[in-house]
Amino acid sequence: MNYLLLIPATLLLLLVFGFPLIRYFWLSLHASSVLTGLEPIYNNGANWIRLISDGRFWQDLYQTSRFAVFSVGIEMILALVIALLLNNEWKSKQIYRSITLLPWALPTTIMALSWRWIFNTPYGPIDQILNLIGFNNLNILSNPSLAWVGTVIADVWKTTPFIALILLAGLQTIPVDLYEAFRLEGGSPKQSFLYITLPLLKPYLLLGLIFRLAQAFGVFDLIQVMTGGGPASSTESLAIYSYLNAMRFLDFGYSSTIMLASFMILIFVCLSAYIVTITITNNFRRYKL
Amino acid sequence: MTLTLENLGLCVQRNWIIRNINIEVQPGECLALLGPSGCGKSTTLRLIAGLDKPSEGSISLFNKDLKGISPVNRKIGMVFQSYALFPHLTVVENLALGLKVRGYSIAEQKRRISYVLELLQIATLRNRKPQEISGGQRQRIALARALLRDPLIYLLDEPMSNLDAQLREDLRPELRKLIISGDKPVIYVTHDQQEAMAISNRIAVLNNGNLEQIGTPQELYLKPQSIFVANFIGRPQINMFEPLDSIRIAVRPEDIYLDPDGIQCKLIYKEWLGQNQLLFFDTPKGTIRMIGDTALDIPSEPRITWKKQKEHHFSTKSGKRIS
Repeated sequence: MNYLLLIPATLLLLLVFGFPLIRYFWLSLHASSVLTGLEPIYNNGANWIRLISDGRFWQDLYQTSRFAVFSVGIEMILALVIALLLNNEWKSKQIYRSITLLPWALPTTIMALSWRWIFNTPYGPIDQILNLIGFNNLNILSNPSLAWVGTVIADVWKTTPFIALILLAGLQTIPVDLYEAFRLEGGSPKQSFLYITLPLLKPYLLLGLIFRLAQAFGVFDLIQVMTGGGPASSTESLAIYSYLNAMRFLDFGYSSTIMLASFMILIFVCLSAYIVTITITNNFRRYKL
Repeated sequence: MTLTLENLGLCVQRNWIIRNINIEVQPGECLALLGPSGCGKSTTLRLIAGLDKPSEGSISLFNKDLKGISPVNRKIGMVFQSYALFPHLTVVENLALGLKVRGYSIAEQKRRISYVLELLQIATLRNRKPQEISGGQRQRIALARALLRDPLIYLLDEPMSNLDAQLREDLRPELRKLIISGDKPVIYVTHDQQEAMAISNRIAVLNNGNLEQIGTPQELYLKPQSIFVANFIGRPQINMFEPLDSIRIAVRPEDIYLDPDGIQCKLIYKEWLGQNQLLFFDTPKGTIRMIGDTALDIPSEPRITWKKQKEHHFSTKSGKRIS
């Protein structure tokens, strides 16, 4: 009887989440492109076989993972530092907190365009600074081996505040009494960070990590605007590759296969991230007794 | 002298939270800091613990000035009102963490922890987390942690205020046995005057950051030095009469009795207290409370009086006791 109340929510989830997924799966088993006149024709898993031998897919998977790992990793560490700073009792701390959140509030396309200009050679400030310290005409966004660093920097700038906000909320749930009691017992600031803050922040760290990994793994708008996946596809992500297949090559079958594959990889990545984080943070407090 | 607070004061943003606090605690004594919320009793405790720095005055423990000595080195066993147990650690881990950071060996940690777990009869809880045990049990863990500290002095900050009345009375003998009757001095912060009278040797009453009076429970009850103390100590509350010639007279409800030559009054309300009852009379001097075992019915119009020597006189100007 109680489960009846779950029906509306379940239906909604099935509609917006289950249906597209099933539709992707169905499409991935069909050829549906310009060659078939956009009519879906069952092709015996040819899309999946093509995916496995598609060098561009694996290259993009590597690039997407590289982007996700670096940007989320840097963001988590930076956000923890910022959250710890913002958690201090400061005069007019509300102002600092609002300022910190500003980058996150900007629409991605706008900030991506701004970053494209910041990295611009020869007019952008970054290029001028690099020139000053002796790196002439480095032109980061046009350099196939450096362009991804530019996108990571932009993503870190934009999304660190979001994680910092989550972690700050987490920090504020920890009662001050705990720190004072520990101080009376002889705990140093470093020990109270390791034994109190980190373990109690664990759920929030996990939340930030999973949220951001999922987001970074499906990155599209930032890269589309900043580099368009270039130069020489060096910043192309799986989402962009899938988009190209659907919208430029009009190959909906293969595009769905890429999306579905990256979705499954993402689930695997999030699960492993979850397990790894739990193991690491548990070790902070494990001692035999 | 074990603990001496001299002229202690704390000023935060030009507001004096407490000021001119002078208290001496004898060896083995339990001193209650009593007062309404916001009176500065917890602040005083935090200053002793070293969690806040005093703006003026000094604190000394065993004739050693505590200025500049870190909270750890003051060797203080503190029980927080919230118990401050670490929610992510089990009971044993909660107790062990302090020992661990103070550098005890694993064997020594085990020995000490088993000892207090036995002492407080909480060994069965050892692998539970704080949110999995009851409030009374949590309070015992907090006490166990303070005991493990092996401190020079115990500071208890409203240790019972999160427990229900029944549990509070049940835990009192235990608290007395374990901590209060030991040879170490105890400072016990509470806003409950009955608890303060039941548990301590002496009570310091604080109001608005000032020390109103310090003395034994009997002294405070029989000779309150100010209107505030008279009102705060003793339930049912003392009868305060309207001031006359800048003198305010107060009489305890139990000192009032029926007398044919007394003042005319009207019984308006009565509360059954069990052994006796609390009677409210409407009189020309205002409402008077009396404790009596007389079976009076509403409405009745008896006459009541009290002995002159049972009166407390206060100056309306200073609020202090006269004579």
